Amino acid sequence: MSTSAANSSDALIRCDSVYKIFGDQAKSMLESSGGVVDAQKFQEAGCIVGVNNANFEVHQGELLIIMGLSGSGKSTLLRCISRLTDATAGNIYIEGEDILQMNNKQLIELRRNKMGMVFQSFALLPHKTVLENIAFPLQVKGVGTKESITRAKEMVDLVSLSGRENYFPRQLSGGQQQRVGIARSLAIEPDIWFLDEPFSALDPLIRKEMQDEFLRLQGVLSKTILFVTHDFDEALRLADRIAIMKDGVIEQLDTPANIVLNPATEYVRNFTEEVPREKVLKIDSVMDPYDPSEEISDLKVPQDAIIETVAEAVLTAGKPVGVVNQAGEIVGALHASKIISILFGGHANTPDQQNS
Amino acid sequence: MKRSKNKTVRAMMVAGCVSLLSATGVAKAADSTSPIVIPIHNWSSQIVMAYVLGGMFEKMGNNVEYVPADSQAVYESIRNGDVTISHEVWQSTFGKSFYNAMAKGGVIDAGTHSATTLEEMGVPTWVIEKDLCPGLPNWEALKDCHANFTTPDSDGKGRWLEGPQSWHGDLMPERLEALGLADKWTVKFAGGADALWTELASAKKEGRGTVVFNWTPNFTDADGFTFIEFPPYYEGCRKSDGGDGKCGSPKGWLKKAANYKFPKTHPAAYTAFSKASFSTQQIGQMAALVDTDKMDHKDAAAKWLADNEDLWMPWTK
Amino acid sequence: MIEALKQKKYLQFILLLIIFVVLCMVIAPSDSNYLWRLPPLIKDLPLAINDSVDFAMFEWMPIEVYDPEIEEFEQKPLLKEVTRVSSGFILFMIELIREILLGGVKTIVAFMGWDWATDNQWARWPALPWTIVAGGAAILGYALNGFRLALFVGLAFTYIAVFGQWEPSMQTLSFVLIAAPVSVFLGLVLGVWAFRSRLVESILNPLLNMAQIVPHFSYLIPVMVFFGIGDHAGAIATIIFATPPMVRLTLLGLKKVPPEVGEAGLMGGCNNWQLLTKVLIPTARRDILIGVNQVIMQCLAMVVIASLIGAKGLGNDLLIALNRLRIGLALEIGVCIVLIAIVLDRLSLAWANKQTDYFADLSFKQRHKYSLMFGAVFVGGVILAGIGSLIFKEGFNYLYLIPHNKGITTENFWQAGVDWIWDTFFYSLKSFNEWLIVEVLLPVKNAYLSMPVAATFVLTMGIGYIVGGIRSALIIGGLLLFIALTEWWDRALITSYLVTVSVMISMTLGIVVGTLCAQHPKSSRFILTYCDTFQTFPSFIYLIPVMMLFGVTDTSVLIAIVVYATIPALRYTVEGLHAVPESLHEAGSMSGVNRLQRWLSIELPVSFPHMALGVNQTVVFALSMVIIGAMIGTDDLGQLILGALSEKNGVGNGLVLGLCVAFIGLAIDQVIRTWANQRKEALGLE
Repeated sequence: MSTSAANSSDALIRCDSVYKIFGDQAKSMLESSGGVVDAQKFQEAGCIVGVNNANFEVHQGELLIIMGLSGSGKSTLLRCISRLTDATAGNIYIEGEDILQMNNKQLIELRRNKMGMVFQSFALLPHKTVLENIAFPLQVKGVGTKESITRAKEMVDLVSLSGRENYFPRQLSGGQQQRVGIARSLAIEPDIWFLDEPFSALDPLIRKEMQDEFLRLQGVLSKTILFVTHDFDEALRLADRIAIMKDGVIEQLDTPANIVLNPATEYVRNFTEEVPREKVLKIDSVMDPYDPSEEISDLKVPQDAIIETVAEAVLTAGKPVGVVNQAGEIVGALHASKIISILFGGHANTPDQQNS
Repeated sequence: MKRSKNKTVRAMMVAGCVSLLSATGVAKAADSTSPIVIPIHNWSSQIVMAYVLGGMFEKMGNNVEYVPADSQAVYESIRNGDVTISHEVWQSTFGKSFYNAMAKGGVIDAGTHSATTLEEMGVPTWVIEKDLCPGLPNWEALKDCHANFTTPDSDGKGRWLEGPQSWHGDLMPERLEALGLADKWTVKFAGGADALWTELASAKKEGRGTVVFNWTPNFTDADGFTFIEFPPYYEGCRKSDGGDGKCGSPKGWLKKAANYKFPKTHPAAYTAFSKASFSTQQIGQMAALVDTDKMDHKDAAAKWLADNEDLWMPWTK
Repeated sequence: MIEALKQKKYLQFILLLIIFVVLCMVIAPSDSNYLWRLPPLIKDLPLAINDSVDFAMFEWMPIEVYDPEIEEFEQKPLLKEVTRVSSGFILFMIELIREILLGGVKTIVAFMGWDWATDNQWARWPALPWTIVAGGAAILGYALNGFRLALFVGLAFTYIAVFGQWEPSMQTLSFVLIAAPVSVFLGLVLGVWAFRSRLVESILNPLLNMAQIVPHFSYLIPVMVFFGIGDHAGAIATIIFATPPMVRLTLLGLKKVPPEVGEAGLMGGCNNWQLLTKVLIPTARRDILIGVNQVIMQCLAMVVIASLIGAKGLGNDLLIALNRLRIGLALEIGVCIVLIAIVLDRLSLAWANKQTDYFADLSFKQRHKYSLMFGAVFVGGVILAGIGSLIFKEGFNYLYLIPHNKGITTENFWQAGVDWIWDTFFYSLKSFNEWLIVEVLLPVKNAYLSMPVAATFVLTMGIGYIVGGIRSALIIGGLLLFIALTEWWDRALITSYLVTVSVMISMTLGIVVGTLCAQHPKSSRFILTYCDTFQTFPSFIYLIPVMMLFGVTDTSVLIAIVVYATIPALRYTVEGLHAVPESLHEAGSMSGVNRLQRWLSIELPVSFPHMALGVNQTVVFALSMVIIGAMIGTDDLGQLILGALSEKNGVGNGLVLGLCVAFIGLAIDQVIRTWANQRKEALGLE
């Protein structure tokens, strides 16, 4: 899971000046405002601003997390992109096609073949069994019973629910239900995977387990993912990039490390302040360039390891530790002093960033 | 309005023509095969008679269909052609509905049964036997015995249980007033015939006096029921007709009604129907087969038809 | 002082009451005093309705139709032709099912005509032996939900057969099998439509309220005029009666579907139709199934009334039996009606809950298990009937069709039961009856009748204002004004008196018994089954014993109403108490409350808004029973509706009278619903 380079050519999803404003006169008010939306003023007129001028891209294979507190517009933004709700203004391109211009038929086609979505409250169909729920998008698409059930069975295995195929949702625990939700959203092998606070309704322990499961799946499947959460720790743990939203505005969109290290606004800083760096930052954000002349320890650490997980080993190594990439090549060296400053230092001495 | 008048006129003409034709014996065209629809109401004699007439029509080669119907509402249905005939049109109970429908057009009068009917207030015979009101059935006896006929809601007065108000309006309260009985008797309107029979049954069990509206021929004839003898009826004696109201009910007719098309579509069956005439005693027999002998209505009709062939066979000729 | 008045509602009520009493005392009862009674300004409304119906039905847009029967052209009005054609279609469907069950010739006639059928007497569809129908139904039960349902269904049909009610029961069944699905379908369509469109919802809502409160009798007459008489007319009246709860519950269910489930459907790639049929409706199924249950109950509840306009079957037989006071026979018929209701309810429920097994690897025999079973039952039934024809030579074959009233009967037993009740209780009941009439009913009735119209308006609109503000006050005022301007205000007062007293008794009974039963799951289940049963059990049956015991008096009317109106009171109490969150119970227990305290201070207040809706339904049920009460003998609106059947202005009178009854209900509904909603909001329940 590496940070993919920003390159508009592989942008799978692109949002251009997307607005979503609720209210009867939303459209006319927006037009007269010329794109500069003052949420306060709109609210007085009975309009509620959900998304305010969102501009960003999501790249092929990238996991973008939209983070924000409740009411920040994160779910609304997700629903605009999946067109569960129609954006008030702007353009949303998926594979270069403006989905706002699509008619109902095209949209259904798109959803049937390219999109999958997981919901906070699982949104399983209560009258269908695990298997039927998972097979549902296939059957809606017109895939025959036998084939769709076979495929659903595979998905059941994928999310480790074997043996519970004929259970009804009410007979499953929350975590299990969400596994069904995940399996259902993946049944049609979508390119784009939307997850709307998928783990928020779960117990902390289960949540951790599901996050691991999610990472495992993503490791296997490498989907392009839009993931909404209100949990900053979750965002840091999973994301390639994070978009932090407040009152409909994207305050900052960057890699987890950059957000922690360089919060763009006061609002973002509030989130990052309490975050222990060692739990967030990866080795590559604190390593020094590898100097072959330098003597390094036999210990090697992967460049995308979280600092906390290797700190003790590095500190007791006695020598700088080599940092390797996935191929096993040494790409840098890690000095104990850097670790110490991360672990015990104040905010002032932030390491410089060379990875953006 | 105009149109309906036309219809009445035409219906009358049709009826007239048909009776003329049948009189001259020309009407021998075959009956239509579409079914004759006979209504079924909720009292025994009517149901048995429906099956008797139905059996007769079937014997003549007609198709017959029975349909349950409300006894008041049926005339509107005859008018519309949804029902073909009605064979028990009681003068005072259904006369109004019958004439209403006839005035709108579409219903014709298909003759009268030989049975005469009486619809009047009366008492179960045991009330007289127990001497709860000495002097009955003469109405003057009512002047002194009301105390034996009170109910909790009658305010110390004797109670007459009259049929539903829709049957004869305020006839009975007016009669009480006219006869000077209003301070001793009061009228309660029952909701339907069921209520009347229940009152008879429960009064009998309790041995309590009761004055109930009833009619004859009826199944209650068998249990013994005595009608009160009011001053005789004459034309115009009722309050609603401008009289003084001091009179009882007339002996009434029992008519037959039919849809105006019936004579045309089923000339033979119509002729038989118009000839059909039952006496009080025969109607009583039909009811008794069901009510006393506990037979099924259809079986009762079959038995009656078998027993009385020489009566009804001539009608079909 | 004024501040206090604004703050404290009870002070407002006291003030209102004082004004009311003062008005009652000062306004002189005289016909010329408009404060005493309003002039009947819309007296002619029924006539106008009547004339327009007559015009539409018998004069509007006449078309020339050739009548081959009388060999001449006839002017037939368009509307009548249209309604007759549509009713012909319904009738055909009913006859089709009926003739599959009972045999006959109508279906053949529909294709070949009477002439052909008369010439070809062999062309009669034979009836299925009852053994095959009962066996087939049992197999259906087995296929849907296993052995227990099969046993129940089989036994129910056997009961019907051996008690000699086969033919009327199958007639009723064929009629319900059309009316119920049509009601369910219509209810679904209208419910979905209302769900999709706010406008439709706002139009439908008052219509649904009305359709539920307007006594069925008042639309019997228009149905009869428009559609004629016969099974189809009965079916149409039944559909009008049974559809509203289905619409309501469909709408309710759809509204309760979590938005995410709809979104999940959309993201799964559903088109509108798939979203509706595969996601929304199935997810709302709990409520929709309650709707289906209600439809079936309502259909069977209408069986007796429908027979007044020509529906054949049990209802008609029941009326005839009652007319002869054969209570035992009527009771057996009533049991058949209830059995059909339960069988249909259970089967439809099982069908809706049916699960498919995708993995079973089935052989031909297994896959066609049920068809094969039915085949066996069919052959067996035919053979049995054949054997039967050899054994029973006396006219009827018990193994083929048990003729009407030739089965076993328990009539004498029930008759004896009624006699026993009479002998045991009559005299003690008699003094109670006298006390009730003299000390309670008559004074209340007279009090109602001695209210000046102005005082009534001040009181009712005042209550509306205090509870729901100016809007409620105006709605109530408008509804009552309509009644006051007809010539039936006094009658409406008597109706109100009957409803008030019976609702009070019903609610007391319902809350006490409901609370006791809600304490235990077993007794809750029992009481809900009891509610189902008595909702379908024809109220006509207990009319007779009640009249025997209490005479043709208001007591009997009251009892008839109370028996029926207690059903929703019970149901809503039990449901309301069950809806109290567990955490509240626990909180109560931890605060150390005893049972009574818990009931008084926790359960009752929390469940009261729901119970208030029960009051609402109790009022609706009571009003709809007013007409049945009229069959005993009253001098209220119901009596006139009953009479409208035979009147020249029957349609208009019936409808306007029905509206009067409905408006009383709607006025009460306005107050209770507004109040319940406020309470719910205050308690954060919705």
